[in-house]
Formats: sequence, C-alpha cells, structure tokens
Amino acid sequence: MRYLWWLVRCQPGRVLRGSLIGTAWMVGLSARPYLISRAVDDGLRERDTRALAFWVVVIVLAGVVESYLGIMRHRTMTFIREDAKARSAEVLLRHLSRIGAVLPRRVGAGEVSTVGGSDIDWAAQVLTLTGPGVGAVMAYGVIAVVLWSVSPLLALCVLVGVPVVGLVVGPLLRRLERAESVYRGQQGALTARSGDIVAGLRVLAGVGGRDLFARRYAARSQELRAEGYRVGAVNSWIEAATIAIPGLFLAAVVWLTARMAVTGDVTIGELVAVYGYVATLIVPVWFLLEGSHQLIRGRVAARRIADLLTVTPDDVGGPGRRWPGTRPQARQPGTAPEARRPGEPVAPDGPADLHDPVSGLTVPAGQLIGVAADDPAAAVALADRLGRYVPSEVTWGGVPLSGVALDEVRARVLVADHDSYLFAGTLRDILRAGADDHDERIGVALRAASAQDIVDTLPAGLDTPIDARARTLSGGQRQRLRLARALHSEPEVLILVDPTSAVDAHTEARIAERLRAARAGRTTVVIATSPLLLGRADLVAHLVGDRITATGSHTDLLDRDPAYRHLVARGSDDPDLDKPADTEEVYR
Amino acid sequence: MIGLPVADRRTVRRALRDLISRHRRAVGLVLALHCAAAVAGLAPPWLLGTIVDQVTAGAGVATVDRLALAITGCVAASAVLTRYAQYAGHRFGERAIAELREEFVSRTLGLPVSVVERAGSGDLATRSSVDVATVGTTVREVVPTIVIASVQLTLLFGAVFLLHPLLGLAALASLPSILAVTRWYLRRASPAYLAEGAASAELTETLTTTAEGARTVEALRLTDDRVRHGTTRVAVLWQARRATLALRTVFFSVVEASYPLPVAAVLLVGGFLFARDVVSLGAVVAAALYLQQAIEPLDRLLIWTEQAQRGFASYARVLGVGLVPPEPPGTTASSRGERLVVRGARFSYSDDGPDVLHGIDLEVQPGERLAVVGPSGAGKSTLARLLAGIDAPRHGVVSIGGCPVTDLDPAERRRRIALVTQEHHVFIGSVRDNLSFAAPDASDGQMRAALLTVGAQWFADLPDDLDTQLGDGARQLGAAEAQQLALARLVLADPHTLILDEATAALDPTTARRTERALAAVLVGRTVIAIAHRLNTAHDADRVAVLADGRITEIGSHDELVAAGGAYAALWRSWHTRVDEHPR
Repeated sequence: MRYLWWLVRCQPGRVLRGSLIGTAWMVGLSARPYLISRAVDDGLRERDTRALAFWVVVIVLAGVVESYLGIMRHRTMTFIREDAKARSAEVLLRHLSRIGAVLPRRVGAGEVSTVGGSDIDWAAQVLTLTGPGVGAVMAYGVIAVVLWSVSPLLALCVLVGVPVVGLVVGPLLRRLERAESVYRGQQGALTARSGDIVAGLRVLAGVGGRDLFARRYAARSQELRAEGYRVGAVNSWIEAATIAIPGLFLAAVVWLTARMAVTGDVTIGELVAVYGYVATLIVPVWFLLEGSHQLIRGRVAARRIADLLTVTPDDVGGPGRRWPGTRPQARQPGTAPEARRPGEPVAPDGPADLHDPVSGLTVPAGQLIGVAADDPAAAVALADRLGRYVPSEVTWGGVPLSGVALDEVRARVLVADHDSYLFAGTLRDILRAGADDHDERIGVALRAASAQDIVDTLPAGLDTPIDARARTLSGGQRQRLRLARALHSEPEVLILVDPTSAVDAHTEARIAERLRAARAGRTTVVIATSPLLLGRADLVAHLVGDRITATGSHTDLLDRDPAYRHLVARGSDDPDLDKPADTEEVYR
Repeated sequence: MIGLPVADRRTVRRALRDLISRHRRAVGLVLALHCAAAVAGLAPPWLLGTIVDQVTAGAGVATVDRLALAITGCVAASAVLTRYAQYAGHRFGERAIAELREEFVSRTLGLPVSVVERAGSGDLATRSSVDVATVGTTVREVVPTIVIASVQLTLLFGAVFLLHPLLGLAALASLPSILAVTRWYLRRASPAYLAEGAASAELTETLTTTAEGARTVEALRLTDDRVRHGTTRVAVLWQARRATLALRTVFFSVVEASYPLPVAAVLLVGGFLFARDVVSLGAVVAAALYLQQAIEPLDRLLIWTEQAQRGFASYARVLGVGLVPPEPPGTTASSRGERLVVRGARFSYSDDGPDVLHGIDLEVQPGERLAVVGPSGAGKSTLARLLAGIDAPRHGVVSIGGCPVTDLDPAERRRRIALVTQEHHVFIGSVRDNLSFAAPDASDGQMRAALLTVGAQWFADLPDDLDTQLGDGARQLGAAEAQQLALARLVLADPHTLILDEATAALDPTTARRTERALAAVLVGRTVIAIAHRLNTAHDADRVAVLADGRITEIGSHDELVAAGGAYAALWRSWHTRVDEHPR
C-alpha cells in the first residue's frame, strides 16, 4: 500500500488533473440523456422548431466537449500509469543490478519475470482509481441529484438498483474469467507442446518419429477442444445472465416511470431521460466495482515488488561498499590509496600473492598458474574462495581478503566462470562489458581468445545483435566470447574456470599460446585439465579433493605425479568419474 | 537467411472461404441465432416509443403494463437466444482453431530441416506460439464480438430505416468521418502496437536476465551498464506507448465526437417530419434511442477491428508454413550395403555464396571408425550434414550402398544414419514418450536396457519409472542426463551409421567424459564418423581425416599421420608432450 501511495505521490499534478478530467467526463456522460429529453419535451412535443434546433446544436457541441474530455482523461491516465510502470521498472532494475551474486540464491528468476512482466502492470493499473475512480463517485452523486428532482421514488430505485445489479453481475463475470483461465492454462500447455516440437524438430529429423508426435499433439488438441465446449456451455449461460439482469432491471424502471407518466408525475421527456440515466449510471458503478477488484490485485502486486526491493546484497563476511554511490575504478599501482574507514584492513596497493589456506594454494603475483582439479566441484569452490564469493580465510598480500572492501575486490579480482552470463546486446556491448572502449582493444582481446572468426562470420561484425545467453552461437563460440570479455576487462587478478572445454584442439592450442602473451606480467589462474593450457603455465598445482598435492611445471608433474599424468591424459577409465553428487554441484 | 514464407491476401481469403464453406451449417446457425437475439434486443426501445405514443394519446395504466411486460419478455428472449448463439459460435470457433493448430503442427513436422535451419528456428517458434495463439484469440473472441456487433448495427440501422427512410438516411450522418478515421487508424495501428509489445517484452527481459546473470553483473561490475541498458529500454517503451497513444488520441476524438451526430440528425429530421405529421413522436424517440443504443456495438466493432487485422496477419503467417513444400519422399526405398562414399562433394549455403567444401573425396567402410579433426570453420559440421543427408551437395555425390543418401526415403534414411549433435532436447512428456518415437515397437524392457547401456543410472531413482514426466514444470534433466537420454534413443533406433558432431562439446569437462563413456556403449558394431575436438577421440579411431578450409588435407591412421609429421602430428605433440614417453 505504501508503495502504491509512493507511485501516486511521485506525480501529484498529473493525478489531480486526472481526477478533475475524470470527474468532468463521467458527469458529462449523463448530459446526453438530459439534452435528448429537453429536445423531445421542448422541441418535438411543442413543435417548436427553434427550440429543437437549439437543443440539437447543444447535443452536437456537448458531444465534441465530451469526446475532448474523454480523450484527455485517457491520455492523462495513460501517462499516470506509464509513469508508474517506468518508475517501478527503474527502481527494480537499479536494485536487481546492485544485489549481485546472492540474488539467484534468494529469488528465483521466474519470480523476477512475474514481477517484471505483470506485477508492475497491476500496480500501475490501480492508479486508474485516482481519475475515473474519483469521477465515478462524483458522477453517481450528480445523477442522484438530477433523478431526485424528477422523482424521489425513482431516484431511490435507480440509485440502489444499479449497484445491486453490478454486485450481482460482477461475481458472474469473475467466474467467467476463472473458467477462462482454466482453459487458458490448458491452451498454454498445448502451445508449450507445439513449441516443444519446434524446438526438437532437429532431433526428430535426426532420429525420426514425426508421425507419432503429430498424432500425440492432435489427441491433446482434441482434448482442449472438448474442454472448450464444456467451458463454452457454461460461459454462454453466464454471458446471457449478464445481459438479462441489467435488461430486466431497466425494464422494471421503465415500467415504473411509464406508470408515473400516465398519472402525470413525470413528463414524456423525463421518461426518456430516466431510461438514459439508468444506462449511463452503469458506467460509474462499473468503474467502481472494477476499481475495487484492481485495488485487491494491485496490492498483492505491490507487496511482491516491495518484497523484491527488500532483498539485500550480501557482504560475504566483511565490509561491503565503502559508502553508497562510489564505484572505485581499477586502481593502477602507485596511485594514492582512497580514504577508508578506520580499522579497515588495507588492501595491497599493487600486485600481491593470493593464498588459500584450505587447499594450501599460493598464487604468486604476476604469474600464470594452472590448477588441475580431479573434482570440478572443488575447483569451483576454490575459485569462489579466491574471488570472495564465499566467506573464507584467503589472504591477499598477507591481508585477509574478507577484510578488503568488496568493491575493491571486484574491481581488481575477476572470476570468469565457464557459464558466466552473456547479456543481450551487440557483440561490442557484450565484449566491452560496460566500459567505453575502442574497437582496437576489443580486437586484441578477441585475438587472444582466438575469437575473431566469430566476428567475421556474423553479418554485421561487432554490431550484430546477440540474444541473451547467445543462444544462436555454438558452445565453443560462447566460451571464446566469455574468455575475450574477461581478458578485455584486464583485471589485476584473473581466475579462469575451464575456459576452453568446448573448443577444438587446434583453437585450444592457439588460445593457450595467446593467453600467456595477453596476461604477461599479471596474475592469472587457469583451472583446467587440458595439457595444452597447463603446458603454458609458469606453475601447475594438482588439486586432489580440496587439497593441493603437488606443484611444479607441467612436464615436472607429468614426470613425478602419476595421478596428474592420468588426469590430463583424460583416460576413459578415470576412477573419479562416477561421482554424480559432485557433478550435480557443478551445475548449480 | 531465407525466412519462411507468409501467405498473401488472396491465399488467406481463399483459406477463410474454405473454412466457412466447410462449416457452412454451423456458420449459418450462428448468424441466424445472433440475428434473432438482436431483434429481440431491439424491441425495448421500440416498445418504449410505443409507450410514449400511447401515453401521449392518453392511454391508461393497463396498456402501459402490457407494453412493459412485453419489454420484459423481449429481454428474456434476447438473453436465451444470445446464450445459444454464443454457444454455437463457441463450438464453431473451437473446432476451427483445433483444425488450424493440428494442421500447423503436422505441416511443421513435415518441414525439411534445412528450410527450418536456414529460416532460423526463432521464426517458427514465434509462429507456433504467438501467431497460433493470436489466431485462436481472434476466432474465439474477436470474430464473435465483431459478428454480434455487426448484426446489431445492421438491425439497429435497419430498424431506423423501417421507422422512416428519411430517418434512416439521417442516421448515417456519422458514417463518413468514422470511416475516414478508421482507415487512417488501421493503416498505422498494427505496427505501432506490435512495436509497443516488443518494447514491453524487452524491458521484462532486461529485468529477468539481470536477475539471472546477477553473479556476472557483480563479477564484471556491470551494475551501471545494466541500469543504463534498462533506462534505455524504459525510454524506448515510453516512446512506443506515446506513439500508440497519439494514434488513439486522433482516432477516439473523431469517433466519439461523431457518435452524437446521428442522434442530432434524427431529432432534426424527425422534428421536421413530425411537424408535418409524417411520423409519430414515438417513432422519432425510438429512432433516437436506437441510435444511442448503436454507439456501444459500434464502439466495440471499431476497437476490435484492429485486433481482427492482427489476427489476419497472424493467420497469413500460420498459413505460410503450409506453403513450404514438405520434405520430398525418397525415390529409393532401400539400398544395398552400408559403404559410405563421398565423391567430389562441393557445397555452399546459398546459391551465389562461396563454397564451404571444395571437392571432398572420402570412403568409409562398414564398421569403420573415422575421426574428423580440424580448426573451427573448416567445414566439419557441413560435411556431417551432407553425410546425414540433411543437405545435398551442390556438386558431386554422397551415397550409401551405392544410392545417393538424399534419394533415400527420409524415414528410412533416419533409421540407417543418425546424426548426433551437441544439441539435445528433452520433449515434454514421460521418459517413455522420449524414447518410444525412436523405435515405436520397443518394449519397456528394451527401453530400460537401453538406458542402462548408456549408463543412465539416474533412471533407477525416478519416482514413476518410465512414466516419470520430464520437462516444463516436471522433472528437469541436467545436460548429461539429457544427452544420455538422447543416446538411449539411438540404441533403440539402432542405426548402422552414426555421425557424431561434437556430441559432447557443450558439456562441462567431467560430464563430457561421463557422456563419452556412455557413447562408447552405443558405438559398438556400427560405422562411426566422429567430428572431434578432443584429440583422444582421434587417437582411438581407425582413421583420422584432417579437414582444413573445406578440403581433406591429411587422412590415415593416427600412427601414420603422426609419422608423416604434418599438421596433425604437430598438434598431437603439443597435446601429449611427454605423455607418450610414459606409456601406461
């Protein structure tokens, strides 16, 4: 509720205008029956041509004014709703992009897409109440006064009767919606199936089975048709009732008014006008009923938005951001250290060794070190510790890593996961990852990742738009793009997890060679089991379970460590292959 | 990329005519019922006019009571008739949509894979989801609304004509302005609303992907970039919404200002006629009320016309899929022998594009294992597609047992030669559904055995055995499990030739190793052509072919190639430095 109120308070002028115009429009709706009744009474019945002409002109003019009010109401309300939607989207986006790595653990992606897809709309829809909602109340009052002047008895009947009709018909329509939503659900499932067939078309082409799928789909389609018949049988009655109930009420009012006309209590013109008022009154009453429904739904939506906004970033066991709003740039060695809070450990000014006590791994500053892990889950855990995605005892130049401001860690240490996310955008946007940059540097990174051919084969080169997750590219191409992106950001410490598992041996050999040159003099950790990559490392560590069992050069370890030799040769009789529990971990 | 065709207006109209004539009786019934309901609905204003006349003439309460009762009766009759009209319309709609979607799916299934791939599967996916759904909504909701509104309008205006032809002419006063502005609006509306929908979807996607990639956002410090990206999306959406709002502003202003014109004209003309005693006061009142009543269906008709137009466009796209000639049935039902021969094969992906393969010559003996290695872009996958018969060479021939593979009946070809790529797809449905289509006659026992053969131990933990539901809200399989399922399918399909196109490349290294082991079980006793990025695959093969720039540059056994000292040997050395010196 507070969130909804906030959306209103952000645009007071517009909301006020919406209320005024909404009221004027809604009240104006009742003008036409009145004007027609005057034209009938004063002009037609009296056979007074001038009076008739006068009222006809007024009817036309009133129509123009009403259409102007109607469209201004629509415009104002659209702006109010759009403003609310844009505001919600921006607030959410700002928040989501700030939370970082903990987000997937706290909130499902499905939830974000519901909030972003429909809740924002629902919340904005509530604001409609500020315009026509206010207008509906006012219009109801005005019609009440006019009717009262015609006949208090009629006024009472109509003013009570119309809302009662609304209250009877409203739930019926709601039921209609519910029955429809069941049908829609089934329809959605069927659509998912045809989408499934389209997605699996190549599999079906490779193995066969098309007829079977066509028959299966047809059977489901027939089931949906039968369900559609059932829904239609019930719904058509409900629809008929929604026509009959207001119609019968109108008939009753006409009856009553006509009898009063006979006795001379009301004029013929008034008889016609009452008929019109009843029809007109349905509009404000309907708005109010619809509005209350929107309010209920909007509150639920607003609560979900608010819940998402209260998810807080995790500081993984140490101080988080220095102060709100600062974004330290990657500091070059030698620049003046920034101000820091008292008692906060000082991060090393320049390149420094990373040490992980759990595994016993020391990453010497400025070197390319390879880590061959027999258990991929342990490799990922090691990368998480070194990059401070989990609380740990890792030290950096002797300083506890968890004591350094998180922003600074992120600016200087980059963990490039093998499944790191590729956002939608042009290839250039993906590669430069937020930095403003020239194509030459992007070219350098692409070369190092042996990925120029990807750019060359795309129709518009670096300007080619790529979807989220780069689904149109092959596994190997995606992997090389990720590598190029990581290299391009030139972090002080780069931790690469399985950077070449999906590329062919030719390309891998090229990458191994160029990676070394690209990272010359900077700290780089490559977690992989490929002899091509490990052979280029200054130092290789063999990670068995969670512990480093041997370190040395690649050739050195091949000589000394049979288990290592076995691991990098990728023999098919690897004893550690069948540990499903561990490999499941990798996927999370 | 060549897109899928879209049906032209003539084809769409013909399809619509066919549809209506197929369901001639149903359509006739629906229209008749709606007409009857609308006539009953027209009675109340007319009866009100009669009341006015009677009261003016000084009739008593009894007359009024009778007329009022008649109004009640008409309302009830109209409601009941509406119900049956709606129901009949509903049934017709359901039948029509069911026919349409089944036709679409069967056409889709008949599409040649090469056409789908060249058009991009995204286009087809949009047609199957968005377009079929849009046509469905149009048939279920838009068409009935438009039919009802049109019937009501015809009758309302007809009634005014009946009251007096001059009143009827006056009632058409708003027609010119409404027609003009509607034409103007319709010409612009669909693209504008589609742009709005796309902008809105993009904003949602920005939010969702930001959440999905949260770790990457933090790692690469993309916060500001994401916010900037989102702000742009918000601005684009705002622009798109403003554009549609501008269209509506013009459209609704003119339309709504036009609504009172007929009422005014009828009162004026009616006054003139009444003064000369040509029509009664009641007739004029009834005409004015009819026209007031016509506003609502007219409004509905105008609002929904745009939707109908969009439905029409979607229908054209759905029909377009049927315009692609289906995969031709083969000219030869079977072939003798299993020897795979490639002679002088050249291939390019478009008619005027450069050749990707420049004259490939290759022979693979039954039961042989051939590994194809080479750098990215050398044409390895293209060669795999030619061997599997998905594409035909531009020049030269690819034959199996002496018969060109593309001449084989598609079903027969798939049974003999299977292509396994890094893509794997788990179909929505049970485990059985996911296996049975490869071999419709396989028993449950054979399916279980196939799963065990490929090392799918996870199968034992499934709650409902072969009936366990997979995909879309049910149990999700990991990449390795999905690939194993695909391999089990192969075991059941039992092709004599397998073409593996980097079947494990998209998996992480450990999973890849497990899957390769599962694969080994499938390969036993078959001809295998493996496109490999792992050199140990090449090492284990009978022969290795090195492909570079669309040509086979080296071919021979692993040992021969290493001994020859060419490109393959250099690569092998860099891969296995020293490992060779420590034989296991």
